[in-house]
Amino acid sequence: MVNLTIDGKEVTVSKTATIYEAACEAGVHIPVLCYAKKLLPYGACRICLVEVEQMKGRLIPSCTTPVTEGMVVTTTSDEIVKVRKTVLEFLLVNHVVDCPVCDKGGECDLQDLSYEYEVVTNRFEGEKFDLPTDEVNPLIERNMNRCVLCGKCVRVCDEIVGYGSYSFINRGFETKIATAFDRGLNCEFCGQCVSMCPVGAILPRPFKFKARPWQLKEVDSVCGYCGNGCTITLGTKDKKVETIRFNDKTGVNDGNLCIRGRFGYSYVNSDERLTKPLIRKDGELVEASWDEALAAAVEGLKQAGSAAGVISGARLTNEELFLLKNLAAAIGTDNLDNSGGECYKGVTEGLQQTLGLQASTATFPQVENCDAVLSIRSDFYETHPVFGMVVNQAVRRNNAKLSVIADKRGKFTKLPNARTLLHKPGLEVNILNAMARVLLDEGLAKTERLNGVEELKGALADYAPETVAATTGVDAEAIKVAARELAAAENAAILLAYGLPYTAASKELGIAAANLALLTGIAGRPGSGLYLCGEKSNSQGAIDLGILPGAEGMGVQQMLTAATENQLKALYVVGEDMLSSYPDRDAVEQALSKVPFLVVQDIFMSPTAQKAHVVLPAASFAEKNGTVTNAERRLQQLRSAIPSPGEARTDFAILQGLLTGFGQDAAAAPADVFGQLCAATDQYRGIDLEMIGPQGYVWGGDILTPITRNLVPVAGTQPVDAEYQLLVGSSLYHSGTVSTHAKGPQAVVAEAYIEFGREDAKALNIQEGDLVKLRTDAGEIQAKAKVDRRLPQGVLFAPYHFGALKLNKLYRGQAAIPVQVG
Amino acid sequence: MFKEFAKGLSITLKHLLPGNRTTVDYPKQKLEMSPRFRGLHRLVPDQHREKCVACYLCPTVCPAKCITVESAENEKGEKYPKVYEIDLLRCIFCGYCVEACPVEAIEMTGAYELANFKREDFNFDKERLLKN
Repeated sequence: MVNLTIDGKEVTVSKTATIYEAACEAGVHIPVLCYAKKLLPYGACRICLVEVEQMKGRLIPSCTTPVTEGMVVTTTSDEIVKVRKTVLEFLLVNHVVDCPVCDKGGECDLQDLSYEYEVVTNRFEGEKFDLPTDEVNPLIERNMNRCVLCGKCVRVCDEIVGYGSYSFINRGFETKIATAFDRGLNCEFCGQCVSMCPVGAILPRPFKFKARPWQLKEVDSVCGYCGNGCTITLGTKDKKVETIRFNDKTGVNDGNLCIRGRFGYSYVNSDERLTKPLIRKDGELVEASWDEALAAAVEGLKQAGSAAGVISGARLTNEELFLLKNLAAAIGTDNLDNSGGECYKGVTEGLQQTLGLQASTATFPQVENCDAVLSIRSDFYETHPVFGMVVNQAVRRNNAKLSVIADKRGKFTKLPNARTLLHKPGLEVNILNAMARVLLDEGLAKTERLNGVEELKGALADYAPETVAATTGVDAEAIKVAARELAAAENAAILLAYGLPYTAASKELGIAAANLALLTGIAGRPGSGLYLCGEKSNSQGAIDLGILPGAEGMGVQQMLTAATENQLKALYVVGEDMLSSYPDRDAVEQALSKVPFLVVQDIFMSPTAQKAHVVLPAASFAEKNGTVTNAERRLQQLRSAIPSPGEARTDFAILQGLLTGFGQDAAAAPADVFGQLCAATDQYRGIDLEMIGPQGYVWGGDILTPITRNLVPVAGTQPVDAEYQLLVGSSLYHSGTVSTHAKGPQAVVAEAYIEFGREDAKALNIQEGDLVKLRTDAGEIQAKAKVDRRLPQGVLFAPYHFGALKLNKLYRGQAAIPVQVG
Repeated sequence: MFKEFAKGLSITLKHLLPGNRTTVDYPKQKLEMSPRFRGLHRLVPDQHREKCVACYLCPTVCPAKCITVESAENEKGEKYPKVYEIDLLRCIFCGYCVEACPVEAIEMTGAYELANFKREDFNFDKERLLKN
């Protein structure tokens, strides 16, 4: 610790702090333009100049100067004010000062500083910038005439996102921020640059001319897309969500968001939202009153009794899931399940058998300090982009060694020094087994306190790295090095995402990853963690609350089979578009057509809802209060920002209505239900709403210690033998099916595509944008081709978000689908 | 004493003579207003559009909250007021909107005859304000 004096105040700060940080701690305000908490110090703007007694004779930039013992700092004096004013005058020489039409007006740092330092005239004259603006881009508007060259956009894109879209080009007065060759943006569109820009040079295009910052009401809530659980601050005006505001004070994401979080909110305002309950009469869905619809739903479910099924999405709040579970009990059925029913088995069964847990063992921010990271599947960045940014920081700031077990290249494989274990599709378990074998063979495994070491050794006989290398196509040496790095690292992380498109071998993968976590000691060690991350915002909550088949109950797949065999009498589907996203569309379609009574509760008229007998219009995440649990076990609060459109009600209110129909008392408010669910759920016992602060509350603490330490042998698979294999997965720009109703993600990826590697495209004579057909025995699909460099030869990829593609006609939960092209 | 009395009265009588009236025969005759008079607002037109760029400063500064602005983007990509309304029944004619305007798009005219029959008639939309 270092002691120094700032403006007469004594401060003690860590020796790595800068003067600016020390001043912040002391509550002394120093103006800045180019400083940002999460970026490395840069010193571009020279606004933060201060006087230091020990360095008399010149002014010192406070944001880049480290503190030293006994420093005496003065932050304001006539000279400092004069210099700051001059800096502002310099900036305003070329600046266009179009504040009246600039959307930053009102929260612009340059505007605020000019006001503070009373820069009303300018002693200098110069030409105003007249640079071309980019107003074509649907998401990010760039007007470099307003730029102050602080370089925050350049730095955030490089340091945090790891994309590197921007750079300074030209020199001297001509310097400006531009993309490579000064072309349009073609990036991840995460909008981090938008959130960082202190002036109006980079702005969110969808918010253009919508409102002034001071007119917006800000509501902190949690993003409704993936399991990362980022805090998003909704800027609302006139009962509409107009934009997402920058907020690095609350939540786990440090103000970072991906395209979905920042630009994917607009489905909330969509005109296609369901606004009235619908009941099927004479084969047609017609509008009905809530009383009628609820009565019809209760009647149908009551009649079905134990032969009813309840399937939930994983985006409901914990409170709603709790009511749903109560409802299932009231109906008298054990048939309760969430999200496809197969994909989460890595957590519920895999981790349960090995670690005795059903959750990730550590929290996201820890990963930043990891020395080694193993990502199973390169798609992890696509499913959890903001967590991916944390991994990027581990790699860049902490020189973490990143290994990616990947069937295709992706963002992770492009990170500096990333080791890509590029394998034939579907063979992740083989490689994990080989890594475990390396650890055991080389004596690197921390086998004390582990059960089943000998069994595992025996079972891994066939998984020598060389053998696995031959089957999977990965370099044996790479497997060995990756395993050694993981074992040697003081802090290490293993990442694996689960979700509807990753159903194949979910349990086996979970077990194999847990085996590795046990052998390396990652599971339960402070600073390290095994992360099994759910695809949806409350996947973990659904598991915690037990939205799973009861003792006698059926899971999703069995329910669908039972429905096809006329065994299931009623089905209640909440927040899921099964037809579009569940594996094996034909089976789902048949089941939904056969089930005598189908209730669908959703916010859009999804293909699933079109088959329903009763459709209940629900509320989006922006209209709800409640809690959700993210993939690192962090409970956070959703806050309602706008009213629901038309007569739509929150899922909470709908479930209350149904419970009342079953003659049960339902608590009046989500807060009451939270108390009940905490009392009823082991992991949540003792938590109350007060404990969920700005950073949420992580149940089980930062590190979850494994209850059991069982190594469980799992068998790998054989590669699929086919010339062309189709992989199904998540696209970075979308999440689930709901993002296809949001303008932001749609502006970048508007429709389904089939991705080809360049070699394959050349061999098949396919150009970008050509209409291509893929065939299997199960059917065929047709979409536009996308030609890229990330797929190995013989591997094709299609994202699962678009119902119109009917991809799940071919996808039945396989890891890779043998297809014929054309 | 009488002298002073006559002197005083003569001034009074002088004022009774034609040509010395200070009031006018309103409404037959109307006074010219001072250029600083704060009467009915007027939006200033530019060549092809209104001068107003919908910066929202006037509704923000307005103490009576009588101005409604809704900005939008025109086909040239410029910011313009899709809606600009002043509820004259609420307006207190303080002139802050004129003072706040960064582009001199709103000014106050000399018009003071603002009586009307219906409430709606006091709602001045963009077209009406531009015509003033």
